[in-house]
Amino acid sequence: MSESLAIETVDLRKRFDAIDALRGLNLSVPQGSIFGFLGRNGAGKTTTIKLLLGMARPTAGQARVLGLSADDAAASVTIRTRTGFVDENKALYDYMTVEEIIRFTAAFYPGWRRDLEKRYLQSFELPLHQKTTALSLGMRSKLTLLLALCRGVELLVLDEPTSGLDPAASEAVLQTIVTHVSTEHLTVFFSSHHLADVDQIADHIAIIDAGRTVISGELEDLRARYRRVQLVFTGEAPDITFHTPGVVRVRRQGRVLTALSNAGSDALIEEAMRFAPVSAEVLPVTLKEIFLESVAVED
Amino acid sequence: MLWHKAWLETRGRFLAGLAISAIVGFGVIYDFRATERLLPLIRNMDPGALDTSGPIGAAIKEGIAAQQTFRGFVWWQWYRENLTYLVVIFGALLGAGGLLARSGSATLFTLSLPVSRNRLIGTRAALGLAELLAIAIVPSLVLPLLAPSIGQSYSVIDVMVHGVCMFIAGSVFFSLAALLSNDFGDMWRPVLIACIVAAALGMLEYIPAISPYGIFHVMNGETYYRHAGVPWIGLLISTGISAALLRTAAVNLAHRDF
Repeated sequence: MSESLAIETVDLRKRFDAIDALRGLNLSVPQGSIFGFLGRNGAGKTTTIKLLLGMARPTAGQARVLGLSADDAAASVTIRTRTGFVDENKALYDYMTVEEIIRFTAAFYPGWRRDLEKRYLQSFELPLHQKTTALSLGMRSKLTLLLALCRGVELLVLDEPTSGLDPAASEAVLQTIVTHVSTEHLTVFFSSHHLADVDQIADHIAIIDAGRTVISGELEDLRARYRRVQLVFTGEAPDITFHTPGVVRVRRQGRVLTALSNAGSDALIEEAMRFAPVSAEVLPVTLKEIFLESVAVED
Repeated sequence: MLWHKAWLETRGRFLAGLAISAIVGFGVIYDFRATERLLPLIRNMDPGALDTSGPIGAAIKEGIAAQQTFRGFVWWQWYRENLTYLVVIFGALLGAGGLLARSGSATLFTLSLPVSRNRLIGTRAALGLAELLAIAIVPSLVLPLLAPSIGQSYSVIDVMVHGVCMFIAGSVFFSLAALLSNDFGDMWRPVLIACIVAAALGMLEYIPAISPYGIFHVMNGETYYRHAGVPWIGLLISTGISAALLRTAAVNLAHRDF
């Protein structure tokens, strides 16, 4: 396992009773990256995060976080000392006020950043003496983010950080993460099924489906590799089986045939031209398209 | 800080237990005055008027015999009855509602902290047991403090010995509720089950052959009251059972997936 990776999983599996939540997950999260962890609801994102933070134990495979085995109870405590976490539900102790939960959390982290605490308290306009249960979801999201960011840690693990937030609150959370990372130089691993969020801030992504990694890599690289080739024919589009490597999916609709490739478009165009289309066009592919195609392939 | 969290989670139950026990303890002292007035009547009663062949008659006879003195009255009414019930109920209440129930949906937040699960359950158990010890001893201090106001006296040593017996045996119900709390998301089912177990054990102690070995016999310090002896074996067994229950709770929690 590599030292330059903040998170690495190898053939990670988790079975809950009769359900295989993870079925051989392979992840490599480079240090210093903003890593978007994408998947549909129930794909295994939260289970993965729980395994990484020692909240659940893997059935098989390995998971290492900051070079430490996530499955080892003692190492897991060290991992959590060096990791900030935001839970999908943003749930906090309902009997504590904002100030109490900040003081409570700060006590566990020797590197707690008072300067950041002060700054985020001010910019988030959090009411110090209000009980956490009285906060709106947006305010609670900001509070959980403050509690994660001020820990002075090397890794942030955020489970659906913008889940349930309105666009303005969502944007505020994302901007805070980006600004924080640019000044603090840490790794962010965040799960989401909001593709726009990932597209906006991630530099690396992994898409998982049914407990397996279907795509992983640098986002720019994926964007460069994925191409949609659209061919228009005079009559009904022919039923073509492409032999060019990297063709993910071919669709026919009337006179139009669309092929999606994850290995560029040059070879695909060359092969397509043999079928004499009227026109051939190479179109860029959005993250949403990559996601939808990747999960659909697994179905 | 975990101590502070545990305190915030349990203080309501603890303070309620302490207050209710103190009020009941206070009531026991002034009840003795009424009982005292009945004593000559009972002493002059025709011995044949009470059929003591059955368990109820025998219990009444035993009760009358015990409550002839203030020390006997306190033991019978306070340690054998009221405080025993209170320690069972509040022991179960303090033991229940650990990581899962009281933290509610914030369980993942707790688990994300750099703290081992053993430390989480250990802190919670230690504070809960300390609170139970306070409930078992502190309210009883009204006895030596207020007994002179009715012309009686009560030994602080008696309070301490009975309190320790009450606490050690009562901690079995605390530990049982703590163990059950790992399996239930709410805090009421562990309390209910612990109380049902206590009631079942209490009923078993109506069987004369079992009574001397029962947990309530240890809790109420009957050996100390009657023979000035400490029920060491019962206390050791209770400690062992509590430790085993808490250890099982910790092991279950350590292996649990959230």
